[in-house]
Order: sequence, then structure tokens, then C-alpha cells
Amino acid sequence: MGAAIETVGLERAFKGGVKAVDGIDVAVAPGEVYGFLGPNGAGKTTTVRMLVTLLRPTGGHARVAGFDVAEHPSEVRRRIGVALQEAALDLLMTGRELIGLQATLHGIPRADVAARGEELIRRVGLEQAQDRRVGTYSGGMRRRLDLAMALIHEPQVLFLDEPTTGLDPVSRLTLWDEVRRLRDEGTTVFLTTQYLEEADQLADRVGIISGGRIVADGTPAQLKAGVGSPHLDITLSDAGAAGRAREVLGRFGAHLPPPAGVHLSLEAPAGAAAIAPVVRALDEAGLAVAGLDLVEPTLDDVFVQHTGRHLEGAGQAGEDAGAPAAAVGGAA
Amino acid sequence: MTQTGVVVGALVRRALNEILRVPGAAIPGVLAPTIFMIGLSAVFGEAAQLRGFEADSFREFIVPVGMLQGAAFTGAATGVNLARDIEQGWFDRLLVCPAPRVALLLGLIGSAALRALLPMTFLLLVAFAMGVDWPGVDTVLLGAVLVMALAATIASYAIVVALRFRTQAAAPLMQVAGFVAVLFTTAYAPKALMADWLETVATINPVTLVLEGVRQGFVGDVTWADTWPALVAVSGLVTVFGLLAMRGMRRVGV
Amino acid sequence: MTRATLALAQRALRLNLRRPQFLAPMLVFPSLLLAINTGGLERTTQLPGFPEVNGFLDFQLAAAMVQALLLGGVTSGIATALEIEGGFFDRLVASPIPRGAIVVGRLLAAGVLGALVVTWFLTVGLVFGATIEGGVGGVLVVYAIGVLAGVGFGAIGVLLALRARNASTVQGIFPIVFVILFLSSAFFPADLLHAPADWVAAYNPLSYIADGIRAPIIDGISATPVLRGVAAAAGVVVVFGGLSIVALRGRLGAG
Repeated sequence: MGAAIETVGLERAFKGGVKAVDGIDVAVAPGEVYGFLGPNGAGKTTTVRMLVTLLRPTGGHARVAGFDVAEHPSEVRRRIGVALQEAALDLLMTGRELIGLQATLHGIPRADVAARGEELIRRVGLEQAQDRRVGTYSGGMRRRLDLAMALIHEPQVLFLDEPTTGLDPVSRLTLWDEVRRLRDEGTTVFLTTQYLEEADQLADRVGIISGGRIVADGTPAQLKAGVGSPHLDITLSDAGAAGRAREVLGRFGAHLPPPAGVHLSLEAPAGAAAIAPVVRALDEAGLAVAGLDLVEPTLDDVFVQHTGRHLEGAGQAGEDAGAPAAAVGGAA
Repeated sequence: MTQTGVVVGALVRRALNEILRVPGAAIPGVLAPTIFMIGLSAVFGEAAQLRGFEADSFREFIVPVGMLQGAAFTGAATGVNLARDIEQGWFDRLLVCPAPRVALLLGLIGSAALRALLPMTFLLLVAFAMGVDWPGVDTVLLGAVLVMALAATIASYAIVVALRFRTQAAAPLMQVAGFVAVLFTTAYAPKALMADWLETVATINPVTLVLEGVRQGFVGDVTWADTWPALVAVSGLVTVFGLLAMRGMRRVGV
Repeated sequence: MTRATLALAQRALRLNLRRPQFLAPMLVFPSLLLAINTGGLERTTQLPGFPEVNGFLDFQLAAAMVQALLLGGVTSGIATALEIEGGFFDRLVASPIPRGAIVVGRLLAAGVLGALVVTWFLTVGLVFGATIEGGVGGVLVVYAIGVLAGVGFGAIGVLLALRARNASTVQGIFPIVFVILFLSSAFFPADLLHAPADWVAAYNPLSYIADGIRAPIIDGISATPVLRGVAAAAGVVVVFGGLSIVALRGRLGAG
């Protein structure tokens, strides 16, 4: 089976020649979660709008669910679900009514509309609120309803454009669980985000976009490995023990820049697996440790390497989800 | 075709739903033509004394104007609502669903045509209560058809404007067209009593034929001679503006 | 106080001029109605009891001006309501300017808009053949009453905004503007009106304002209608300007 989403040289130029999207090549396999990561203004939303047939490409090609977006847009629309940046809802209708309308618009037989609607309402946890007007819903509830509407017709490909922007941490985590569930069910998910932690947690593969171009593409692990390996930051209790500690730890891997007082850093390609042996070795040598951090490269480090700038939002979603403090490993 | 019909029905229901959920928003549009009728007949009522005036009373003469004004307001409101939906992202949602563009358009236009019957009904009830003679079922039915068709025409125009400018700030542009179309006719006086320039404009304006078609039963009898021009004129208007609106719809997105 | 007031007036004017979707209807709709009324009903000047005029246009100019001035008042109200909704109003209140300047500045801008309205319709009238019987003096009288009425109607708009606090309520007032105007002698001589306009017109200040603006155009300057017009316009300014200040105090007092 071919790619679920495939673009070749996809381009969108606006009046004045400004290219919001400047030649993008993407291939997303069926059932994959693809994270499209980049700062505001990078071209994420423009790319999504072209893939969901809201905007005509000015160059290149794109195929979604096997159909060219420019030549067979209605076939594409039949097979995709879309939840855009603004949760576009009619505030005067109830949740149940909106889902019913969406089902009708997607050609779901009348006999099945109610049952399908009930199922989705239950799935996103809106049973209590379904007969209230959407205008009374919180931001998180509206986003969940938006997602339910995007899923009403069991799309092959789901587009989520910054689905957790503006949500509180709990709502964000709920949405992350839903995305994982969709992936387990075989739906292809194309997710744009400005939160690196979101891409890191959810995506099977990540494309990093900046200035309308993809600057890096691969699995999160591959991308991070490309900028350096994890390392251990060790804080000793006794500054005088630094030299001895270096000797003891020599067999585990290269030391990073020379120790400063009580601090030393050690490459740890094995990641978390390296922690226990190191601690044991220090302990056996009678060297007391005041602190130990495993520092992994982040997608922000990847972004910095390719663009020279940090990604906005780096650390925002991360703080919520409890990622370790960022460290510099091999910045350009 | 049936699926298109189902979609159109669902969109019409949604548009009508707004009236039920926020009646306050609909009230000005429903009341305005009646207010104009009462106000105009109170102010200019004496004009019916002019020799050559076709009706027994000025009120009788301008009731049809009020009916068409209701159609114009409703049509413009359809465009304003679409502009609002575009601004809020709801229209994108309709665009990415597989329903054909023509279904989306018919849903908008159909709801405008049906909604136009509200101000018309209110206006007629008030007019009859104020002493205007019952013009006959044929007049009312013909009036309903012409009102709905004109509402569909103005809604199509307003949709073109909404798709072009994508903002509610374009509302006056939508409203002024209906205003001009309905009033630059034989709205206030028969052609014989008008200034020459307005007589020329009214002759060129196809809505004059529509107005005369609605008016005939109020000032006399309904005849085929006065009916067919109205039907032809309104059919032409609906076709032209409907096609323009369809073109506008097709140009949105892919 | 003066400096703050002038600065706010300047700002209000600038914003009005930058919002064509508010400004245009204020001039366009009354102009269209003027054309339609004049073109459709010009023969009514032949009705028994109709005052001596050079043409129906001369008679209708005052009505068009009053209508546009009323719409200007609604525009001022909507602009004020938008400021309240958007939070800028709170910023003004929190600044060290006299509170009254907030209202007075807006009213000054309304007065300038009023002068614009008068200029537009006098020009349109002259271009299409109207004559100002009162000459230069007559024109000045028209400006005086027009600007005063503009300020008064602006005060009504500001009062509505301070009480309603949201723009869509103020916008909903729009049809009522027409109702009140119809129930006056703005569009047609008082003696020829039908019910219910005939008896309401005598009590409607808009009748006197319109008659006051009209007299210099169709008749020359005569004391009674002009003085009544000035008094009616000034009355609107005093009453609604005062109520606006009270509403402002009430709003600030409520916190």
C-alpha cells in the first residue's frame, strides 16, 4: 500500500512572491503518527491547509489517502478528518446536534447517525455535556468535540493542527492519550505542533519545518542521535575526589569538558542503562555523589543545529510533562 | 442527488435553528420592513391624493415594497452570517467535508428564501390589522414565490461579497445592494408621477417588474400580463446571481 | 481637562475615519433615501397645504441631514461600546485625566462629524439644484443647529453604550432611530402627516430640529423655527449629555 500522505516539492506562494511553503517533501506511512514541528510562521498551517484541500498549492504535488489533492479533492475529503487550529464550532448548537450535522455532511446513513454520534461522544467523554450548547463548553471540551467531529466518518488520515495550543496540562495529556489510541487503531495522524515535547512523546516520525522548508526528518531518536549522545552530569560531594572519580569512571566512556570543581560530565550512549553501573562504581570507590542527572539531547537541540535558533515553546509543554532540564550537547 | 438533498436540508435546519436559539438577533430583520411600512405611510400617506396615484391608500401601495424589503434584509443577513462563519472557522469545516459545493450553496440560499417568509408574514398581518384589504390567495401565494426568489437572489449576491472579502465588515456592502434594488423602482409612486431620472432607473431595474408583480393584487387584480414579466425577471436574477455565487464557491480552496 | 479632551476627540475622529464600514452607511443610506424620496415624490409639492418650495429636494435636505446625524450618534455609541468591550475604556479611566474628558472628547468628535454631514448634504443639494434661501447666514444657521444636534445625538449614543456595555445592543437600536424619525415632521410637512406621525410629531424634538435646519433653506432665516431648532438641539445636548456623565459616574462608582 502506498504512502498515506506524500508530497513532492509542495509549494505555496502568496502575492508578492512570499513563499509560505517552499518545496516540501514528506512521506507518511499508513498508521503512522507524523509530527510536524516548527515555530509560529514556519509554514505548518499553510501545509496542512493544502493537504486538506482548503488551499491550492502553487507548486509541487501532494497525495493524501491515494488521491492528488488538486485533481481529486472530493475523494480526499471523503477520507480525511480535520481538526484545525480554531475549534470551529457553532456555539448555538448542542454537542449532539453538531455531531449529527457532521455525520450528515459526511453521508453517514440516517439510521446510523445517532448510534455513531453516541459512540464518539462517549469516546471523548462528553456524555454529560452533549445536550448543552457548545457556547457553554470549556476550551478543552470544545477541542474534544472538535476531535469527535473529525472522527465521525472513521477517516483514514486525521489532520490535527496544533491541537493542544491553549489547553491546560490535563486536557493536553487527555488529547495525547487519544492520539495514541488512534495510532493503535491504525489511523494515520498528521500532527502539527510548536511543542517539542508533544512531538517527542507522540510522533513516530518528526519533520522539523522552518522558513517553509523541512530542515530535518526522522524518528525522534534518530534526530536526537544526530546532535550527540546522552550524558551524565555528576555532582560530587567532595571536590577533591574529582580526579579519583575520573579514573574510576574512565572505563564507562569519554569524559566531557574537564571537571569544574565538584562537577563532571560523562558520555552515556547507553542512556538510562548507564546510571546504575556508574553509581555502583562510584560507591565501591567510596566516592559520595550529591547529584546525578541524565541529560538527553532534545528536539530543540536538533532545531538549533539546523537553524541556529531555539524553537519557541521549548520547555513549555516539557515543564508540564516533567522532562529533564535541557543541556547543551554538540550545539553548532 | 438524494445525499445532496439531505445535506441541503441539514444546513437549512441549522440556519433556521439560529432564529429559534437567538430570537433577539432575528427580531430587527423581521420588524424593520413593518416599521418602514407604518412610518412611510404615516409620513407620505397624503401622496395618495395625487391625481394618477394607482392605489386607494399609500399604505396599500407600499405593502409590496415592505415584502421585498424583508427579502432584501434576509438575503443580506445570509451573507453577513456567512462572513461570520468564515471569520470563526466554521466555514472551513463545511469546505473539508465531502458534500459538494452546490449543496453548501443551496443550503445557504434555501434558508434565506424560507427565512424571508417571516418578515413578510408579520408585515401582512400588521397591514391587514391596519385596514389594508385582503388581496386574495393568488396575490399572497405569488407574493411568497417572488419574495423567496428575490431573497435567494440577494443572498447569492451577499454570498459573493462574503467569499470575496471574508469579513463581517463588508456587511454594509451587502445591505446597500438590496436597499438600492428594492427602492429604485416604482416603490413610492407610479412611473407617471416620478422624476424623469428615477423613471428611467425604474424602467431598467428588473426588480421593478418583481415589485409590480407583487403589487398587482393589492391595487387591482392579478393578471397573467403582469405576472409573467415578474416571473421572468426574478428567474433571470436568481440564475445570474446564483451562477456568480456558485463560481465564488468553486474558487474557495481546491 | 482641555488638552485631554482635545486629544480624545482627535483620537475618536481618527478612528471613525479609519472605519469606513461605520462611516459610509452614515452618509450613503441617507443620500440614497434622499434620491429616492425626491425622485419618487416630487409631485407632492403640489398637494394643498404644502409650503412654498423651489423643489422637493430643498424640503428633503433637512430630513437627510437629521437622519445622517442620528446615524452618526449610533456610530459614536457603537465605537464607545467597542472601547468598553475591548478594555481601552478602562485604560482611559485608569489614566490621570479628568473622567469627564472621556465623554466630552467623544462628543466633540461627534460635533465635527456633524459638520461633515452638513457639508456633504449642502454640497449634494447645491449640485442637484437646491437653493439656500437664507444665503450665507442661512448656511451658518444650518451648521449651528446641525453641529449641536450631532453632539446631542452623540450623547445619546454614548449614554446607550455606557448602559448597554456591548456593541451589538447599541447596533440593535438602529431600527428605532428610523421609527423616531418617521414620527416627526422631518420628511413631510406636519400638517400633511397621517396617524400616528401627526400627533407624535408635535412632541418630537426631531421635528423642531429638522424644521430649524429646513427654514433657512426653503424660507430664509425666520426667528421662530430657528430658535425652536436651536432650543430642541440644545435640549438634547443638555439632557443626554448630562445623563451620559451620570451614567459614567455610575459605572465608575460601581467599579
